[in-house]
Amino acid sequence: MDVTIYLIILVGTGLVLAAAFTSLIAFRFGAPLLLVFLLIGLVSGVDGLGIDFDNAPVAYFVGSIALAVILFDSGFGTAARSLRQAAAPAVVLSTLGVLLTAGLLGAAAHFILGISWLEGLLLGAIIGSTDAAAVFFLLRTGNVSIRDKVRSTLEIESGSNDPMAIFLTLTLVSAITAGTAAGGGAIATQIALGFLQQMGIGAVLGLGGGWLIVRLTQRLNLDRGLQPIFVLALSLMLFGLAGLAGGSGFLAVYLAGLVAGNQLKSPAALKRFQDGITWLAQIIMFLVLGLFATPSQFPVLALPALALAIILMFFARPLAVTLCLLPFRFPRVETAFTSWVGLRGATSILLALTPLIAGLENGRLLFNVAFLIVMVSLLVQGWTILPLARRLGLVVPPRIGPLAKYEVDLPGSAHHELLAYRVVEESPVVRGTRIPRWARPALVVRDNRSMNYQLAGRPQPGDHVYIFVPSTYPRLLDRLFASRAELTADDVDFFGAFTIDPERPASEMADVYEVELSEEERALSIADLIRARLGGEAEYADRVALGAVELIVREADEDGTITAVGLSVEPSAPRPVPVYLSFGELYDWLRAQVRLRMGAKPANSASTSDDTTPDKDAGSASSGEVKP
Amino acid sequence: MELSDILTKDSIIPCAKVTSKRQLLQLLAERAADVAKIDSQSAFETLMSREQLGSTGLGNGIAIPHGKIKGLGHVVAIFARLDQPIEFDAVDDQPVDIAFMLLAPEGSGADHLKALSRVARCLRAEHMVDELRATRDKERLLEVLSTPAEHIAAA
Repeated sequence: MDVTIYLIILVGTGLVLAAAFTSLIAFRFGAPLLLVFLLIGLVSGVDGLGIDFDNAPVAYFVGSIALAVILFDSGFGTAARSLRQAAAPAVVLSTLGVLLTAGLLGAAAHFILGISWLEGLLLGAIIGSTDAAAVFFLLRTGNVSIRDKVRSTLEIESGSNDPMAIFLTLTLVSAITAGTAAGGGAIATQIALGFLQQMGIGAVLGLGGGWLIVRLTQRLNLDRGLQPIFVLALSLMLFGLAGLAGGSGFLAVYLAGLVAGNQLKSPAALKRFQDGITWLAQIIMFLVLGLFATPSQFPVLALPALALAIILMFFARPLAVTLCLLPFRFPRVETAFTSWVGLRGATSILLALTPLIAGLENGRLLFNVAFLIVMVSLLVQGWTILPLARRLGLVVPPRIGPLAKYEVDLPGSAHHELLAYRVVEESPVVRGTRIPRWARPALVVRDNRSMNYQLAGRPQPGDHVYIFVPSTYPRLLDRLFASRAELTADDVDFFGAFTIDPERPASEMADVYEVELSEEERALSIADLIRARLGGEAEYADRVALGAVELIVREADEDGTITAVGLSVEPSAPRPVPVYLSFGELYDWLRAQVRLRMGAKPANSASTSDDTTPDKDAGSASSGEVKP
Repeated sequence: MELSDILTKDSIIPCAKVTSKRQLLQLLAERAADVAKIDSQSAFETLMSREQLGSTGLGNGIAIPHGKIKGLGHVVAIFARLDQPIEFDAVDDQPVDIAFMLLAPEGSGADHLKALSRVARCLRAEHMVDELRATRDKERLLEVLSTPAEHIAAA
């Protein structure tokens, strides 16, 4: 007995270590890391090193927990900003898109594998979702920044389509086991009703649970070390609860993660923990699934599986994506890229276990085919995504920026970041541009000596400066410390697009830009308003946020008289609520969308085309200017 | 939001023959009145009073006159490419030859600002402005202005 325990621990940790170790190599080669994990599982399994693991329920159990952890984390890491940008297309992709892909692939499977229509559809559903882990990893690796909107859409899609695929698969499995007596219509009704129930309960519990997690962690004064455990346990508890209540546990954890990640006040420590636990979950999931498979059964199925993978990558997914994105007018290249980043992964293999567990006649066949398709997808798409992004012109050149960014959990300092810069030669501060007071370094390190800003005098090239700054301003700091470009008066980011006469009454400005001011404030001049809001003296480059606009002191003389003011209309402050929680918001959004649709002109012929074969579109790649 | 959402062929003036700021604003107001069925005089006064607050000339020959109008249904945009540059009291004292007017309904806070920042961003991209200056063709101007936001990528 003792020996077995030691042996299992030895082998288990050995495999995890091997996986973690190969990550070093995989990063070098840009190989799809998750495929490597899977391969290690395969190699160690029954046909390789001979670890005989053939317990489908255990594999499914472990995999489900791992997936719940991964989904919570992917929700946790999704910023409210991305959500606003891409929620609509992503949600369509992850519901309708999954359905379409599953249908198309199901039909192909019916003919190629000679299985029944329902079984075909089941295979389609199993392969229906893209893999959050694979997509996240590929998009974030290699120091390549893909345009924000595309990235957000893909990331949100990959996180939110798992619940849909899981739901479809489970429904179809139970329909098949229930017998073929039920007609197509009955199954469709069952799916529709089940969908409403599962997603409805999942969504309600997820949002509510997320809210509760936020409240509880903030109310209870937990030890720092315990807090992540507390959050993790709560999220898994929610997963179990939603499942028991007949909802989608996976949707619940994803949404809870979304709410928690965006509303927790000090997520930095939690994030680090989440990162670690998610890696572990991924490694375990892929290892277990790799171990479970029996590669010696693969060769017979290699050809049909390859054919299905090709249909999936070049036909089913592109068609589904194109149809889903039609209303959103994505440019053609972005549609093409979205189609290609349809990586399948652990979720699909996990789902492929369900026919086996249910004891379906063709269970093993479905599992093997699904496994092979996932391998092909990870290999082919995983390896080509970054080159493709480059060819399509979707890669935004790396922005200049701070050396390091620390999110600090300081008591009382909500939403400040600590940024470290190395002062660049010929940067504006070196040339003598004055440093606005919100950008004054807390610490200057020169020649390994730390000194405070007043003693250090003008920053010199090579200095390291550390600055605490509200989280909306870092891009302005980039401009001051890390850019070689001279800071000119028409630098719009810095000084605002429009010029405002400081002598005019504040009420005029307030009326044009719908800024809410008190009666006393309305009576002031704009210059006095700025001084009042700053609480005293005004200085060069001071900024005052008024509603959605920002007033910037462009020039002020020695005695604090404001002589020139800029007005920025860039909405800089992110809004706090990540989900359309209120009906009012939902209504506004719907109205805006309807208005947009009604008034929209088919002006941009390039944006919605039916041609999405990725390698044809390179010609229309755009010229991306550098984002500062 | 994309500029193609608020622009139509009717809202483009490919070769405006005006000689002063006042005339330009008048022309823009009249066209806006035609497109959106509003009173041209009140549109003109709105634009003029915004100019009092500070010139909307951004520099580089570009101006974005804007303001709020009561009872407007949605954001109205008029683009004018001037035949001859005119004085506009712009920040850099350069004469203006490209004007993009925006009128927004009162109470449309965020929408108005989004449109404004979008237009400002768009006209800040040099290649964009070059292309606008290079043509007098309505269709082409509309096409250039309709480039999706991400493709301009100038921040």
